[in-house]
Amino acid sequence: MRYQLDLTLRQAEGALNRVIGAAERRGYRPLKVDGETQSDGDRWHLRLTVEGEQDDLQLREQLAKLYDCLHVQVSTCP
Amino acid sequence: MNASQWLVKALLDEGVDTIFGYPGGAIMPFYDALHGSPLRHILVRHEQGAAFAANGYARASGRVGVCVATSGPGATNLITGIADAMLDSVPMVCITGQVPTGLMGTDAFQEVDVFGMTMPVVKHSFLVRRAEDLPSVLHEAFRLARNGRPGPVLIDLPKDVQIADASELPAYVPAVRMPLPAAGEAGLHAAVALMAHARQPVIYAGGGIVLGEAVDAFRVFAEAAQLPVVQTLKGLGSLPDEHPLNLGMLGMHGSRAANLAVQEADLLIVVGARFDDRATGRLDGFAPHARVIHLDADPAEIGKRRSADVAVLGELSTSLFRLTPAVGAQRHARNGSARAAWTATCCERAAEQAPRYDYPGPDIHAPAMLRELSQRAPAAVVCCDVGQHQMWVAQHWAFQHPRQHLSSGALGAMGFGLPAAIGAQLEDPSAQIICVSGDGSFLMNVQELATVARYQLPIKILLLDNQALGMVRQWQTLFFERRHSEIDLSDNPDFVALASAFGIAAHSVATQAGLGDAIDAWLAHDGPALLHVAIDAAAGVWPLVPPNRSNAEMLDGDADELAPLPLPEKHPSKTTAITEEIPDAIST
Repeated sequence: MRYQLDLTLRQAEGALNRVIGAAERRGYRPLKVDGETQSDGDRWHLRLTVEGEQDDLQLREQLAKLYDCLHVQVSTCP
Repeated sequence: MNASQWLVKALLDEGVDTIFGYPGGAIMPFYDALHGSPLRHILVRHEQGAAFAANGYARASGRVGVCVATSGPGATNLITGIADAMLDSVPMVCITGQVPTGLMGTDAFQEVDVFGMTMPVVKHSFLVRRAEDLPSVLHEAFRLARNGRPGPVLIDLPKDVQIADASELPAYVPAVRMPLPAAGEAGLHAAVALMAHARQPVIYAGGGIVLGEAVDAFRVFAEAAQLPVVQTLKGLGSLPDEHPLNLGMLGMHGSRAANLAVQEADLLIVVGARFDDRATGRLDGFAPHARVIHLDADPAEIGKRRSADVAVLGELSTSLFRLTPAVGAQRHARNGSARAAWTATCCERAAEQAPRYDYPGPDIHAPAMLRELSQRAPAAVVCCDVGQHQMWVAQHWAFQHPRQHLSSGALGAMGFGLPAAIGAQLEDPSAQIICVSGDGSFLMNVQELATVARYQLPIKILLLDNQALGMVRQWQTLFFERRHSEIDLSDNPDFVALASAFGIAAHSVATQAGLGDAIDAWLAHDGPALLHVAIDAAAGVWPLVPPNRSNAEMLDGDADELAPLPLPEKHPSKTTAITEEIPDAIST
């Protein structure tokens, strides 16, 4: 299954590595990464497309646990 | 005041009384600030010892353990202890020195990216590039370490930041432990409804119970429910060992009664456990007829390995408190008599299948020795290493509370036992601390005998010596056609002479005849003491569920082939509709 993740991250050192690394370690292969600094300059908006065999709930809960992850929304790619 | 001096004062303000560490180049300003301060520093002899000691301190108390190391090798040596804390949810704050910010990224002397290296094994980490960030970072580090599901937090502190001016920094505001949100009503009501339908429920108790300070609430819940209880390695002691509802540990080296009950159950009430593979065995054969109510503090554990029919997320003690009146009332409601009969059957089986300790012959039988020792020292805190002795302790020690059992559960880190015992002893100098180790594990952090001797910690070390890596040997015997590859430790040092060289009293015993007196003298010794016990290299840990097998396929030491446990002929349907609700029975 392919999933699209929309993430809001604290713009902190290591935040990007932490999110992508966590997804990979939990069995979701990144296919596409895209993002930008939000207008307030304190946050990133990151869009990540991943592929994995497990369901999206696990991915969402694991990423939501990360301190730098302020918001995560996971949707299944058509 | 520089930032290091501010940090030492802030740690004291946070309530930290003891830290474990080892100095070096990039952390020298911090150690300079430590000089003459009331913050007690325990000088270990290897940074891994510092991490495990802080880990043991935290496990024994529930407080945040703190360790310190320099950059480079000092920092990398901490990592095993940090990983252990992450996997077993132990609250720790780990402070590492780093090369000055101007040298970072230049492959400077003793520069490693410990911030990056530890990312998968910390709850969170901070790299402090400006002294003015220190107050918020320290506060967040302690808050994160102890709140929610506990875990380790790393603070990497470059040397120039350590000496930066901190005279304008605000006073430190200690972090407080915040209770988790209570579970929602819907989950509690659904749990009660599911329990009402069950005829063969089993309570599955995990390490989350003690982490959530929910031992008392759990005991009240189990007493009210009068249902059989199985415990994970880290859940041991949630019910006292001798409690009539306690069926023992489940899983790979679990008791037959516990595994059989789970395999036959029509409902698992999982409290603070995570369906670890060592507990479940082959997952698709685990509790095949059971529905699942999963109570936990961590949403990410729900459905991670086994889907839950009902999830009860939130502070465990509150959830258990809310459910207790309902489960008590259910004893006298529909299916109450069936559940009572089921409980009686499980408990009778546990009694019938209890381990026997009448081992014949002159040799020392480790399970019998450990059982006897646990009866002689019922309040002791046992710090285990990893291997056969760890499983014998789990199977045969009569734990009264989970904080009596400090064991590297998920990481399974050999070398954990001795430094963890140091941490536990320093946390409570009046406690009786027993380190149970094996000859393989003991040599992994043997240098910490120097720490034991330096601080005259009255730790009692029980060293079970089979001159082999016993657990690996057992698996090679069973699953690798007896090819014993690189497990021979028959050239072990003279452990009595070794301990004596560190100034620690030591004695060796090899036969049953001398064991009782040797244990008496060892326990009575005023100060640290090591008892070296020679045991048979061929001794195994039984029962054993082979890898990739169901818990129904327990292997016994007397059997040449796998002997599947008998299962009942009729199983409850998994598709039974849940229609009954007893909302009024939920306590508010």
